[in-house]
Amino acid sequence: MLSYLLAIAIITLIYLLLSFGLSLQYGSVGLINFGHVGFFAIGAYTSALLALSGVPLFASFCAAAIAAGLAAWPIGLISLRLRDDYFAIVTLGFSETVRIIIVSEKWLTNGVQGVPGIPRLFSSLPVGLAAQLATAGLLLAVCVGAALVMWRIIKSPFGRVIQAIRDNEDALKALGKDPARFKIQVLMLSAALAGIAGAFYAHYITFIIPEQFVPLVTFYVWMAIIIGGVGRISGAIVGTVLLMVFLEGSRFMRDFIPGVSEVEMASLRIGVIGLLLILFTLYRPQGLMGDYTKR
Amino acid sequence: MYFAQLAVNGLVQGLVISLAAMSITLVFGIVRFPNAATGDIMTVGAFSGLIVYPLTGSLLLSGIFAVVVTAAVALAGHLLVFRRLAARSVVALLVASIGVGFVLRSIMGLAFGHQPMVFSMPLSRPYRIGGLAINPLDLQLALLAAVILALAFAVLHLTPIGRQMRAVADNAALARVSGIRSGRVLAALWVLAGAIAGAGGVMLGVKTVVSPEMGWDMLMPAFAAAIFGGIGSPAGALLAGLILGVVQEMSTPFVGFTYKIALSFAIMLIVLLKRPSGLLGRIEGVR
Repeated sequence: MLSYLLAIAIITLIYLLLSFGLSLQYGSVGLINFGHVGFFAIGAYTSALLALSGVPLFASFCAAAIAAGLAAWPIGLISLRLRDDYFAIVTLGFSETVRIIIVSEKWLTNGVQGVPGIPRLFSSLPVGLAAQLATAGLLLAVCVGAALVMWRIIKSPFGRVIQAIRDNEDALKALGKDPARFKIQVLMLSAALAGIAGAFYAHYITFIIPEQFVPLVTFYVWMAIIIGGVGRISGAIVGTVLLMVFLEGSRFMRDFIPGVSEVEMASLRIGVIGLLLILFTLYRPQGLMGDYTKR
Repeated sequence: MYFAQLAVNGLVQGLVISLAAMSITLVFGIVRFPNAATGDIMTVGAFSGLIVYPLTGSLLLSGIFAVVVTAAVALAGHLLVFRRLAARSVVALLVASIGVGFVLRSIMGLAFGHQPMVFSMPLSRPYRIGGLAINPLDLQLALLAAVILALAFAVLHLTPIGRQMRAVADNAALARVSGIRSGRVLAALWVLAGAIAGAGGVMLGVKTVVSPEMGWDMLMPAFAAAIFGGIGSPAGALLAGLILGVVQEMSTPFVGFTYKIALSFAIMLIVLLKRPSGLLGRIEGVR
């Protein structure tokens, strides 16, 4: 039981890292990123492949963050020249392209067969609870670190510039600030967070295939931040926990409702997510943790 | 000759992309958001056609039924969701359209399961025209697409509601003060966009297999064609879809099967960065 709870905690924390990044992008600079899973995939594959070729895990994690962050750089340059909705389509295309490259370049990624046998974190500890506990602890530390960075960014002069970008980009330009640089920095930072999340994911699950990096993952995270409230640390946390409760809970539901197959459950899950996305945008756009004084 | 054959195959593929792109571009031109539910509306069309086809054995009747169903679905989406978000940001509409798409996909998955299904078409010998093999089925599909396209263009250019639609697309505020009732125009627009997507869905279903995910996979090429053709330009979408279909098919020997989708992404990116007005679009102040 404890082992199961720890497993859920680890996956929740991984998703939390993704939520932080997306929430920072959308909530602060107003970038609509529909391709977050692409950076997650880049991180996962970078760290897994490096670790399998003998690179120490610490270095491979750093490489995952750097690779994902660098991949965000050209996307950031493109974002400067596009309106929000176009940027959303482009990022969606980006994440699909990343997945197609992973599927196609078999010499590197083993294609649809995936990469098995990725070394675990803390493999020196006895397998089981101890290693899991250590992984969860490390992840928690990274999440707290990310939350602190995010909080610093939101509250700092840098953060005020970012909020000004969202509210009125032209006025900001008139004040002599350069919104372009901030946008790219925020994008690269949250991509790096997604890369680290991907590395944790790869080394925890120990087996990755391209199918794990479909756009649905991006929209899981979107659902989390929309339910929780965009641009807030508390919103990202609440949303991600609710997302996990929903994803895990729907797995248990099957034990109580007989005759529902796994594929039907998957359909149902997509339907609920769709419905929540619609209902929250219609009736509660600021999310559960958002400002209650505003309508 | 081999490439000519690929080009012919690509044309039918291109018509599917054209229809999807036209649906997207009509909505984008007037309601001003990229409708991510378009792919899933196509899926609804394919499944609707699949219900009728075994009963009647007529591709035309299945197509008509599918078009009616998807027009109704699109109109319902407008009335229940999109109309209420009219005053909100693009993001709200975009996220809601993703939600609508998910709900549709979920319903299709629950109702029909995830086993891929096919239209069981009778096999027929391809026509041989100067060394080119042309499948009679492709010809029928092309005819179906031509009928729908002709109807769509007729509605847009020959009827009062179509003229009003184009007026709203051109300048919504001006259309309003001229006494155009935007509610009716929007409803007509969604019916038209839904119908076109549904026809594309049937074609896609006949050409490939019908599954709940089929429409979503069309979304990228369709967006690419809509942007390539120039947002808001139905004729541009038609042209760009055909070009994209042919280019995808003809590039297969060079880049392989899986990179086809990435190709449309690359084209979209280049168009956005170098010529955002696309083939036939007008230049907008912002993009």
